[in-house]
Amino acid sequence: MRIRVKPSRRRNERITLNLASMIDVTFLLLIYFMVTTVLARQEDRLSPTIQTETENPSGESSDFQPQVVQVLLIDGEPAYQLGPRTYRQKAELRQALESLPKTAGVFIRVHNQVPVGFAVAAIQAARDAGFDQVTYVPAQ
Amino acid sequence: MRFGCSRQASRTIEIELTPMIDVVFLLIIFFMVAAQFARITRAELDLPQEKGEQEQAAEEAGLVINLLADGSIEVAQRTIGIEELLQIVQEEIDRLPSGDPRNVKLLIRADRNNDTATLNDLFNRLRSLGVGAARLATEVPR
Repeated sequence: MRIRVKPSRRRNERITLNLASMIDVTFLLLIYFMVTTVLARQEDRLSPTIQTETENPSGESSDFQPQVVQVLLIDGEPAYQLGPRTYRQKAELRQALESLPKTAGVFIRVHNQVPVGFAVAAIQAARDAGFDQVTYVPAQ
Repeated sequence: MRFGCSRQASRTIEIELTPMIDVVFLLIIFFMVAAQFARITRAELDLPQEKGEQEQAAEEAGLVINLLADGSIEVAQRTIGIEELLQIVQEEIDRLPSGDPRNVKLLIRADRNNDTATLNDLFNRLRSLGVGAARLATEVPR
């Protein structure tokens, strides 16, 4: 007696995966991340040193004097003063600062009543102009 | 004598996706809750629209001080006065291993429409504690 055992062959076997739920979930995730990306605002920071007007700028005399930018209100409008010149725009201030020596740093002297946005813009202009040492001085 | 194998012409294999969907929904809920917490810790402020220093290195936020548009001060979702804030800063300084006030990490989130009177007052008082620098938060423009 000959017994031949053949391996089972499945010629027309179909594997069906129900992907509908997974696609639903994937789309939900996609929508969720799109919405949260819009909500989350990217924040950064500016790190000026702080100094009061009553302090000696560096605690010792120096051959170099730091540049002083005044942030104040002129005719009710915020403005930047660098020496005798007055600037209304951050870009103008940055351009003016770029040509100055940077060894001694820059003092941003901020008067009261100026919007915070303008004071921070002055610090940003100084950083963009290449000043590593930026000092915030609250005006008395 | 015949040994026949069962033949299935068309067999359907089903993968149970229910646990995966459960886990995915749990993840969604987790991220949604985490995002809510992130928004709670950051007070809603109109920050100055500046690109900032754009340093890649991650830095510890330290004590976050929110200066709201109405001039009030908020720390850890609590509105406080300037004297109480100075106490908190002093505690932060005391907690430092070096005890050096110049090493204290402060992040000031000030509303850009607020005037600088509160910020100037805060800086003058921080300086009297010996704090040498503070970080001003900006919102990177899109």
